[in-house]
Amino acid sequence: MSEPLQFDMGKFAAVLPADLRYCRNHMWCRPGTAGTHPFGFTSYAIRLMQDVYFLDWSVSPGAVVALKQQIGNIETSKAVSDLFTPIAGIVAEFNAEVLRDPSAINVDGYGRGWLFELTGTLDGTMDVQGYLDFLTANWDQTQRIIKGQMGD
Amino acid sequence: MSRNRLTIVLSQAPGKHPAKRSLEESLAANLIMEPGLDVSIVPNLYDLGPDHTGRMYLEGISGDLLVLTWHFPRAAFWLLDRIGVRGHEGLTQIKPPQTDDDEEEGESAAPKQGIGSAGELPDRHIYCLDLRDFNTPDPYLAEVRRIALESRERTEGKLAANANSIAPLLQIGVQTVPVGTNGHGSLMKAFTPELLLTPPDRRWYPVIDYSRCTNCLECLDFCLFGVYGVDSMERILVETQDSCKKGCPACSRVCPEQAIMFPEYKTAAIAGAPVGAISGLKIDLTRLFGGEVKDAMSQAVEERDRELVADGRTAVGMSVGLPKRQGEKQAGPRDDLDKLMDDLDALEL
Repeated sequence: MSEPLQFDMGKFAAVLPADLRYCRNHMWCRPGTAGTHPFGFTSYAIRLMQDVYFLDWSVSPGAVVALKQQIGNIETSKAVSDLFTPIAGIVAEFNAEVLRDPSAINVDGYGRGWLFELTGTLDGTMDVQGYLDFLTANWDQTQRIIKGQMGD
Repeated sequence: MSRNRLTIVLSQAPGKHPAKRSLEESLAANLIMEPGLDVSIVPNLYDLGPDHTGRMYLEGISGDLLVLTWHFPRAAFWLLDRIGVRGHEGLTQIKPPQTDDDEEEGESAAPKQGIGSAGELPDRHIYCLDLRDFNTPDPYLAEVRRIALESRERTEGKLAANANSIAPLLQIGVQTVPVGTNGHGSLMKAFTPELLLTPPDRRWYPVIDYSRCTNCLECLDFCLFGVYGVDSMERILVETQDSCKKGCPACSRVCPEQAIMFPEYKTAAIAGAPVGAISGLKIDLTRLFGGEVKDAMSQAVEERDRELVADGRTAVGMSVGLPKRQGEKQAGPRDDLDKLMDDLDALEL
């Protein structure tokens, strides 16, 4: 297995495992065998959000979802956000553990901190190099967005 | 008599959120038992129209005032200033629970000086506390007692200093405390709880923080709905607030000094959070996680276009009223980005 890549966010380096697929909404995906794949937040997303306090989903397992459909929201120590689907498909399962106690997202974001499983094709997702390029290309603008909101 | 007392006004949350109502009720029940305080409850401050009894009551208060609201203190203070309830900003020592996890507190490097509130400020202090900081009444009660003491000491100090020059106060009518009212006696008798609490309609309009506003008039150029105007001194003001488009915070995004607040907007920076203090505030990452990445200016233009189209007008995109500073911005982005990197680093404890 190849080495993980890193994206530098100031002094923090976001680790990006090489064996995962990545989505534009900063979720990773571990391709499953039967077309059902677990998704979670990349370390880049977690770094921006910091400690997750509260996570909620607005759809149920079995729901048919479109790409970029709003399916929930999250509150963390530094951010609030609505959450959207990374691909179109069917929701197979939500990780009950992180719904009860979302700290696993911070502790083990690429493992126990997975968010949900979706059944669908991984069209439009990126490999690790593609995601790294995507982050690099958008970093300035991302900072501007955050900066604008910090009102600084 | 009542001029020297601290008046407490509790501004209710709009709607019927049970947890918020419960905090309001237990605060009110406790405050009424405190000696030396006048306590009143009004509906959501932001929604009070000019002919609402609650607003007339606020306008009639002359001494120090402490307002408990579900808004950022900066937003509440300038909201009051806007409706003519003016004074010096009283400093609270209450701190939201999560602010202890970060480096320095308060404002960062002093911003450009704003033009300030119009005219001379009355000699009194206005304190605003944010009811979202804690979900139990105790921290608020402790701060109310501290402020009441501070207010009394200041008043007594002034009285002692002016003891010889002051004219005797004339008490008109009989000092009474009608059951269920605020204890302001005859002067405030007309303000029954029923009238004070008449539910107002929801409103939506910008509130200007004149301690930051430099009167650059970019908001006046940008807004195409006639919300902004200038007064006889050529100072910017929110002239026709009810022309403002509900939910649209676009002018706040174009303001270069973060002087325009929409106190009920979902993101903290626009709702009037302390400027420059990242600690304890939450950024809205929806645009990142939704896969859409836009800067503040594009978003403002999009929001404005949406409202123009909804009004049956033509979208104007970037062609009208965009700040002149767009050109200059390219000149010095390096510093901004460098500073932001530091801020991002500061996010990690």
